[in-house]
Amino acid sequence: MGTANRGIMSNTEWRSLRGRLIGLFYLLVLALVAILMIFPFIFSFTAGLYNSIEVVKPGLHLWPENPLWENYTDAWNRFKLGRLFLNTAIAAGGGVVGQLLVSALAAYSLSRLRPMGKNLIRAILLITLAVPGIVYLVPRYVVMARLDLIDNFVGLWLPYCASSFMILVLNNAFDQIPRDLYEAAEIDGASEVRMFMNITLPLSSSVLLVLGLFAFIGFWGDFLWPFLILRDSDLQTLSVRLYTLRRGFPLNIYMAASFMAMIPPAIAAFFLQRHAPKGGLTF
Amino acid sequence: MTSATTASTSLTTQAASRRTNYWRKQGLAYLFLLPALVIFTLVTWYPIVNTILFSFQKVNAGGFQGWVGLANYTRMFGNPVFYVAWKNTLMYVVLSLVMGAMVPIVLALMINEMRGLTTFFQIIVYLPTLIPIAVGLLVWRQIYAPEGGILNELLLRLDLPPQLWLQNADLAKPALIVIMTWVGAGGSTLLYLYALREIPTELFEAAELDGFSVLDRILYIALPLLRHRIEIMLVLQIIIVAQVFTEPFILTNGGPANSTTSPVLEIYNAAFTRTDFGLASAWGVSMLVTLSVFSVLYIVFTRRDLIQE
Repeated sequence: MGTANRGIMSNTEWRSLRGRLIGLFYLLVLALVAILMIFPFIFSFTAGLYNSIEVVKPGLHLWPENPLWENYTDAWNRFKLGRLFLNTAIAAGGGVVGQLLVSALAAYSLSRLRPMGKNLIRAILLITLAVPGIVYLVPRYVVMARLDLIDNFVGLWLPYCASSFMILVLNNAFDQIPRDLYEAAEIDGASEVRMFMNITLPLSSSVLLVLGLFAFIGFWGDFLWPFLILRDSDLQTLSVRLYTLRRGFPLNIYMAASFMAMIPPAIAAFFLQRHAPKGGLTF
Repeated sequence: MTSATTASTSLTTQAASRRTNYWRKQGLAYLFLLPALVIFTLVTWYPIVNTILFSFQKVNAGGFQGWVGLANYTRMFGNPVFYVAWKNTLMYVVLSLVMGAMVPIVLALMINEMRGLTTFFQIIVYLPTLIPIAVGLLVWRQIYAPEGGILNELLLRLDLPPQLWLQNADLAKPALIVIMTWVGAGGSTLLYLYALREIPTELFEAAELDGFSVLDRILYIALPLLRHRIEIMLVLQIIIVAQVFTEPFILTNGGPANSTTSPVLEIYNAAFTRTDFGLASAWGVSMLVTLSVFSVLYIVFTRRDLIQE
């Protein structure tokens, strides 16, 4: 345990000349990669500060002479970003809550309540996981159209609620909870619903949080499904609306709006980092 | 006698009550499963069955128009775009494996060595995955822009000729693969990092004492122990890249001359620009058949990992 703090190189080696050279090389490569990774953030941020002529002027510019901060308020108003943020929050938030709830209930049943055909259900979920979603996209759209759920958030949320991956991961997580806890609660006369609420959910809160954040990030940026379901511009999410309006606005305003659209998932990632699982998620 | 009867009746009532209790428990178990079963049936299982049925039917916006036998398949196989799209898919997969598969492994090995900066770089590499892809692609469009685009400006500075990145059939696919690598490398890097941390440090310690160089330790200890993880990630990468849609849809719309089109893009066009759901479903079945091999491989690999742990 005492040797935990080392990578492939030991700390002594890390401090030797050779180690320092290797470290410097790693650092240079990673710094270059970091610039490439952050680049679109920086680019959209600074492009949003130019005036509409400077932004399309050829040449590499890093920072405008007179940053136009009002482009950001301008973009906010012209794209009706408030509305778009609200729509995207409803789309992603509803999806996350629905997915967590549906999956946690199913996983609790599979883990604790021994339903008949439990292994069959698990096998079907595993097979479902193996079928790429794109294969049945069209019939799924037809179902939504028949149920009159086009231009309706419910039509967006229903597929979001069906995650075989999340059920299988939660099933695995719930299996790790010590049985004694449930036995003690049973003696006290607790119902299954109570045990689900008071034992299972609190003890799995970190897994639920991490899964929820991953789902949030995915739904926030989802494109194809909301693009198909939400045709009404008053309901559209950020990625769909920004795509639809890509030709209607000057580049600087457009980039300012794009930058603002990237902020919420970046905040979610910050929380994810703090609660990141040490060993990844298994099922 | 009497006491025996009472005992047996009490036994039967006990058994009966145990049976009702059992069914009550089953009812409860299925009540918890109900939302998932209903929703999966509606949005997943019924549509999967329908994909196969639709592929033998004429279906459009008005619904079912009749059975057509293999007509959708004849049309699909008779269209040269079918072979172009699948050839493109193969090229996408090969290019992504050649250009992209090594990236997260190298990044993970380097980040793992960064001591205090590990967390920082972990967040940085994951950033592109977070950006809504449709928004990120519009920024990439500016990077690849023929005139005034950042990449061409850089080339001009270096006295190199500017390129039509997305308009040249030879360059468009690699240009899209660079974006896909940029988007996808972060998540894979984190998974490799987790796997690296699970390797007992004693192994590296012993090898270091025995005089193994850093490169030897990577080649003979780290990579062999990451092998299972690498296999899983490669299969996953094949499955994901074969479903490429958003990048060509937003940046090239399949062009130039169909050089970036993909089966999913063709599904989209058949279904939503020509409302030919039957043909779209035939394409869907072709994807199901092709990808099922890799899907099965993926499940076998992940299960194997779990069993050995």
